[in-house]
Amino acid sequence: MSTQADPAQPAEAAGPVRGRVDQAVVTAPHAATAGPVALTTAGLTLGFGTRTILSDVCVDVRRGAVTALIGPTGSGKTTLLRTFNRMNDRVSGYHRKGDVLLDGRSIWHPGVEVMELRRRIGMLFQRPNPFPMSIMENVVAGARAHRLVGKAGMKDVAEKHLTAVGLWGAVKDRLKDSPFRLSGGQQQLLCLARALAVTPEVLLLDEPTSSLDPAATQAIEELVRTLVPDITVIIVTHNLAQALRVADRTIFLNQGRMVENGETRQLFEHPAEEETAHYVAGRFG
Amino acid sequence: MASAPLARSVGEAVAPSPRRPAPMLRAVVRRADVVRWLGRTGAVIPLAALVFILVVLLIESLPAIRYNGLHFFTTTVWNEGVSYNALPVHSGGVYHMSGAAFGALPEIVGTLLTSLIALIVAVPVSIGAALTIVERLPRRLASLVGIFLELLAGIPSVIVGLFGALTFGPFIAHHITPVIARNVPDVPVLSFFRGQPGSGEGLLTSGLVLGIMIIPIIASTTRDLVRQVPILPREGAIALGMSDAQCARRVTLPWVGPGIVGAVVLGLGRALGETMAVAMTCGVALSTVPGNIYTTMTTIAATMFNYLDTAFLDGTGFAVRTIAELGLVLLVITMVVNIAARWLVRRVSGIALPVGRGV
Amino acid sequence: MSERAGGRPTGARVASGGHGASGRHGGASRSPEGMWPPVSRRRKAGNLVFWLLCALALALVIAPTLWLAVDIIGKAVGNWQWNVLVTRTDQLQGGLLQPLLGTLVIASGAILIASIVSILTGMYLSEYATGPLRSVLRGAYEVLAGIPSIVLGLVGYVTLVVGLHWGYGLLPAVLVLSVLAIPYITKATESSLAQVPTSYREGADALGLPPSWTMRRIVLKSAVPGIVTGVLIATAIIIGETAPLIYTSNFSDVNPSLAHVTHLAVPSLPYMVYYFSFLAQPIKHANILSADAALVLLVFVLVLILLGRVIVAWSRRHAE
Repeated sequence: MSTQADPAQPAEAAGPVRGRVDQAVVTAPHAATAGPVALTTAGLTLGFGTRTILSDVCVDVRRGAVTALIGPTGSGKTTLLRTFNRMNDRVSGYHRKGDVLLDGRSIWHPGVEVMELRRRIGMLFQRPNPFPMSIMENVVAGARAHRLVGKAGMKDVAEKHLTAVGLWGAVKDRLKDSPFRLSGGQQQLLCLARALAVTPEVLLLDEPTSSLDPAATQAIEELVRTLVPDITVIIVTHNLAQALRVADRTIFLNQGRMVENGETRQLFEHPAEEETAHYVAGRFG
Repeated sequence: MASAPLARSVGEAVAPSPRRPAPMLRAVVRRADVVRWLGRTGAVIPLAALVFILVVLLIESLPAIRYNGLHFFTTTVWNEGVSYNALPVHSGGVYHMSGAAFGALPEIVGTLLTSLIALIVAVPVSIGAALTIVERLPRRLASLVGIFLELLAGIPSVIVGLFGALTFGPFIAHHITPVIARNVPDVPVLSFFRGQPGSGEGLLTSGLVLGIMIIPIIASTTRDLVRQVPILPREGAIALGMSDAQCARRVTLPWVGPGIVGAVVLGLGRALGETMAVAMTCGVALSTVPGNIYTTMTTIAATMFNYLDTAFLDGTGFAVRTIAELGLVLLVITMVVNIAARWLVRRVSGIALPVGRGV
Repeated sequence: MSERAGGRPTGARVASGGHGASGRHGGASRSPEGMWPPVSRRRKAGNLVFWLLCALALALVIAPTLWLAVDIIGKAVGNWQWNVLVTRTDQLQGGLLQPLLGTLVIASGAILIASIVSILTGMYLSEYATGPLRSVLRGAYEVLAGIPSIVLGLVGYVTLVVGLHWGYGLLPAVLVLSVLAIPYITKATESSLAQVPTSYREGADALGLPPSWTMRRIVLKSAVPGIVTGVLIATAIIIGETAPLIYTSNFSDVNPSLAHVTHLAVPSLPYMVYYFSFLAQPIKHANILSADAALVLLVFVLVLILLGRVIVAWSRRHAE
């Protein structure tokens, strides 16, 4: 659907690529995945109550790359993702063995301040979750909470990050409005801008496009590619085509175990494990 | 309970042959109509009662409204006139004792001030308690505290008044207020906290006691509201690295803000109309506008209670008519507050406020 | 709030910031291996203070209630004798017999009348009424609940005691208190009927059963625990009402009598709590009776509310 830009259509519908949606805009550079490790899990076993969700997971996440977490429903991919920024800590009955290292240091180390950890490791959720405040306040909410920006600098920071996600043009005249009147895709972009405004080093995306339409999905995918290599991105997706489009590396989880971790194209085309081959083939038909 | 026989008779007509209702159908339909008709009659009663109360008070107080005029709202005299060996005076079509003069300014100011103190105490305490219950307490403990709130809401106001007048009031008058009264600087606003601390009857005690009484309304409604906040925006705040305090202040509470405002206004309505607890702790000063927070004073409801014995002595009935005028003022204030609370909450957040004391 | 990024260690982040996709520079904002940026003590302390204040708030809810309960119970228990429950009040001494009977009779009468009206109202509002009529009728009973009880008492006095020449008595008190109880029972009826799952009704409708059968056999049956709880709570509330009684039943030391529902002032516990207290009668034995009456009243109220709680819990367990 290579269309010419419709002048009547507001720019936000097409996302960050102003008004133009080309078919081959997303180019996942499957090369250049070398680099130091940002996140490591060491024998991570985790569960809630009597249920064990993850067992003995050991994975490395490369810095500056997009890593996809794939696997069937209930394989523990979202749980693993939410462990990276310690969102599971307060779930009742939570228990854990093993460790997660960020830059070589345990994220549960007593010296680690969980709020600072979460500033460094941002997150985008399955459904957009704007706060009950104006659009501008939403973008700077986290930055304000961390005192990264004073009252005077709010507008600049908001403009910078809204521009970065391609939303500025659509909302610049209604920064004081409620975010709940934006479309679902725009709300998700707003949440992305909000997450970027605290200058994270790692960004966790939990099926960020599962509630969005194809155009908004494409906008988010394009944005994700622009984040690397400055930010390390980990994306949970049930959409293997999406993993193939955006991810440099892919981790396949099944029933709480890490089955395979490798370069995306390698994993899809020449999987090392039979389980992976079976899953990938089954999903792609 | 009382409708059980009715319901049974409706059911019995059908119960023997629910599978073949055709022969019974007509009787059933007729009985269903009876239920509906009775229901409609019953349902109109609260509305009729409301209108009736308003009309009765208006008619009863009309002579008082005419005689007292607008001075009723601006003066502080409270005098039923000469009661002994005096003939009633007839002025402007109204019978009253000679020298009768009524100004409700102390009552109105007292009502507003006690309720203000109650809100200042109850709102932060209720919201803090609600947040603790939802976010911090384990489920068992949370429901235990819930029972506690329900019990607190159910304690009769005469018992709260007894506690306030005989224990709580004297306690703060001996141990707390003297310290404050002596040490507060004599500057505007704060000078309201200076003066003779008194014996524990007065504005401060009444306001605090009212605060205790409206806490369960605000706290339990806020708790229910906070429980309804979806997890997703809260997780969003936590994932951004906000602290719990920031999440509560910036996301959770704004999310249900209008509902909390409604709950607060509902509590205000109760504080404005509370009688016994205030009547027993206010010190009954019918003509005093409080000069500091320790002075004895009165409220509309407290005067309606405390002044009644004297009012009956007025052979012309004018004093009782004045009480009716007080009642009308109180009724209008509380109705406006109540309707405003419900309108506000329904318009913004689509939830229903609890009824009455919120239990 | 007042602190700007400028003079703080974290300021480097703002300045070099890497705001936006273009201006982000790889390693600069990343901390060196194993090094965490200094944590804002102020935020940690702020959070701690916040939770401490919240816990304090909870304590401020609980402590006065416990103090009140201990005070009321303590004052009564010291001089408690079981026979006050069956001893007649004589002037300002004796026992609580007549006020106890008076309260029981007044409360039962009021609850009986209020239940009939309220359950019909609740059923009608939940099952039949629609649209603006429903909102108006519902709004009416909700606002009725907010009317100060002393105003209701005054209206009862003006219309029943004086207007109809009934004098003080059982009947005016019962009628006024029943108006007080109506909103609570109506609300309970309406909301417990609304909570009956639609599938129950649809199931019965699909079998071709008449609506009234569904109403009685299915809907009302599953709503009964909620309604009973509402009745219990309404009882707890009106049993302690004092202000309206001064205008309607007043006080005496006679037994309440169903043969004389008017022109016979009826004693009651809540009025006794006030009327025999130090505030009205600075006489020791009267004050002891006031404390006893307060204890009995408190026990009544707490038992009624706890009973309601138990019924709700029980019916929930048995619903599954």
